Amino acid sequence: MTEMLPRPTARAEPAADEIPADGRRRSHTFPPESIAQIQRMAEEGHYEIRGWGAKRALPSFDDLTFLTASISRYPLEGYREKCETRTVLGSRFASKPIELDIPITIAGMSFGSLSAAAKTALGTAATAVGTSTTTGDGGMSTEERAASQLLVYQCLPSRYGFNLADLRKADAIEIVVGQGAKPGGGGMLLGQKVSDRVAGMRTLPPGVDQRSASRHPDWVGPDDLRIKIEELREATSWEKPVYVKLGATRVTNDVKLAVAAGADVVVVDGMQGGTGATQDVFLENAGIPTLPAVRQAAAALREIEMEDQVQLVVSGGIRSGSDVAKALALGADAVSLGVAPLVALGCNSRTYQRDGISHDATEDYRALGTEPGHCHKMHTGQCPVGIATQDPELEARLDAAAGARRVINYLKSVTMELTTLARACGKSDVHNLEPEDLVALTVEAAAMAGVPLAGTNWIPGEQR
Amino acid sequence: MCGIVGLHLKNPALHGQLGSLLAPMLDCMTSRGPDSAGLALYHDEGARTVMDVYKDVGLPKEICARYDIASRTGFQGIGHTRMATESAVTTEHSHPFTPTEQLALVHNGSFSNHATIRRRLVREGHVFDTDNDSEVAARYIADQMTKGADLDDAMRMVLKEFDGFFTLLVTTSSQFAVLRDSFACKPAVVAETADYVAFGSEYHALASLPGLAEATVFEPSPEVVYTWSR
Repeated sequence: MTEMLPRPTARAEPAADEIPADGRRRSHTFPPESIAQIQRMAEEGHYEIRGWGAKRALPSFDDLTFLTASISRYPLEGYREKCETRTVLGSRFASKPIELDIPITIAGMSFGSLSAAAKTALGTAATAVGTSTTTGDGGMSTEERAASQLLVYQCLPSRYGFNLADLRKADAIEIVVGQGAKPGGGGMLLGQKVSDRVAGMRTLPPGVDQRSASRHPDWVGPDDLRIKIEELREATSWEKPVYVKLGATRVTNDVKLAVAAGADVVVVDGMQGGTGATQDVFLENAGIPTLPAVRQAAAALREIEMEDQVQLVVSGGIRSGSDVAKALALGADAVSLGVAPLVALGCNSRTYQRDGISHDATEDYRALGTEPGHCHKMHTGQCPVGIATQDPELEARLDAAAGARRVINYLKSVTMELTTLARACGKSDVHNLEPEDLVALTVEAAAMAGVPLAGTNWIPGEQR
Repeated sequence: MCGIVGLHLKNPALHGQLGSLLAPMLDCMTSRGPDSAGLALYHDEGARTVMDVYKDVGLPKEICARYDIASRTGFQGIGHTRMATESAVTTEHSHPFTPTEQLALVHNGSFSNHATIRRRLVREGHVFDTDNDSEVAARYIADQMTKGADLDDAMRMVLKEFDGFFTLLVTTSSQFAVLRDSFACKPAVVAETADYVAFGSEYHALASLPGLAEATVFEPSPEVVYTWSR
């Protein structure tokens, strides 16, 4: 007979509020999220890949406020008095510049990353409100060309689906040097989204993870970019505007170089910019926020005396009319939206519509390990609302016409917010907003945007 | 808030009374602009036209007395009384703004995009005396005219480039021009007779003029450039 080992006295686990304060002391260096990440890496031997954009708190347009009119300046009436939103992009060299009714465009998002229905819905909505949409790292799909009155065709390092026939069908060309979500990195599409059609358009095998190059195959640096731009212009009879899109890092130099290389339009994508899939470490640790990026880009254009000739488009985390107004005031001619119109389309919505019936998708979000309102799982291809997927079953959850209506509503609302603020600042044209209309609510934002801290005349770093 | 007045004398018989007619008009605008006042008066010296500018801090009546405006002669003059809005009360900040020897501008209202236009002009080498928004319009018009535009065209360019609210009165050695923004919020009255064209922010500024009862009196329409030439 074996001797009985002494057993610890059975004791109920203490309730959470009985754990002493010191026993729950949170580590700033190793908070539970860091511990979970380390545990996951130890388990999987891999970095985290996800969609969306930077999730950490960053200085943003929220840190600015407008000095609207009062006695020294006079506001315009909200409903009676016009406030122009018309915007022209690409007037420097192109014989057919892009003419937009609103200074709000839809950013490049690939067919592959997004479903065909999502691309169609975005194109339909953009056309209805008189703006442009953009292809993405996967080529031009027939549906989006048909749905979009103004379509910007991206030329990316991967050159997926890039060909002369589609180039000539485009209304403008965007050479993508980098993206705010992952400046210095290339695109990524995991195998589960590489359907036969997606693979066909990219001339790659289906079902295999795709990692796009981070550099263009035929040029690096401004000298060779100049040749590339000229080649694209020659191929399109100098008709179409050529945009150069940059991930915001060394903005001042990059903007000047893009202009020197012959860009009609410079697109600067800030750190909050979204993506369908990339390394989390990239999203959270590379590039500068959109707020300082606009200021630097506008200053660079002024410095080389090109602000009246080359247009600046800004993107990265823009959600509302106030974000648009602030970007314009700081020197942007237009903005570009990616994540926000997807949300309008239904991204992160708890429900989806099918055959006129509303279905709850919460369980599908949970199966991906997330919740509606928090989802960044577009890389999985298992989008519960049919937007970031190539699965026919899931794709059927998005009705392109209904989605387009929601995006139209959203873009109209953003435009109304924009003109509301512009009118209150006494502007009959949204492009007349200027940095002097803004003050900052934090010292950081004042320094980054180059506007005074509210209630003072102090712009950090500026000699007085 | 400001008051502006102007007098363009068509009848040479009145040239001797330019100052004595204009000074009471300016005085009428005291309540609209008690901070400072100024005038630009044009007269001929032989074949040459001379523009004299008087501006100072204080009430219009004091300033007119200080510079003996009533005794001045000439063929046209404009005046301004200022209630400062966003820049300092000094003589330099007072209107008229005179970017060239022959061009004078007075402004009632407030531009809402002047900082951007100022940046562009500064880059092109223009030097500003003040941070006043009206000076930007004055230098802009002078710049347009240097580049070959006539006063009419330059004023129309103001309509295109400047946002905000304005009633402008601009004079050169030969012309007298009025322009209001598309809302025409800031008041303006013009009286025209065979002898003169007179401008006032308010009607009572014109009441002391001879023959006013027979004058054609009208409010200038928005977005229309009115010019009178010698």
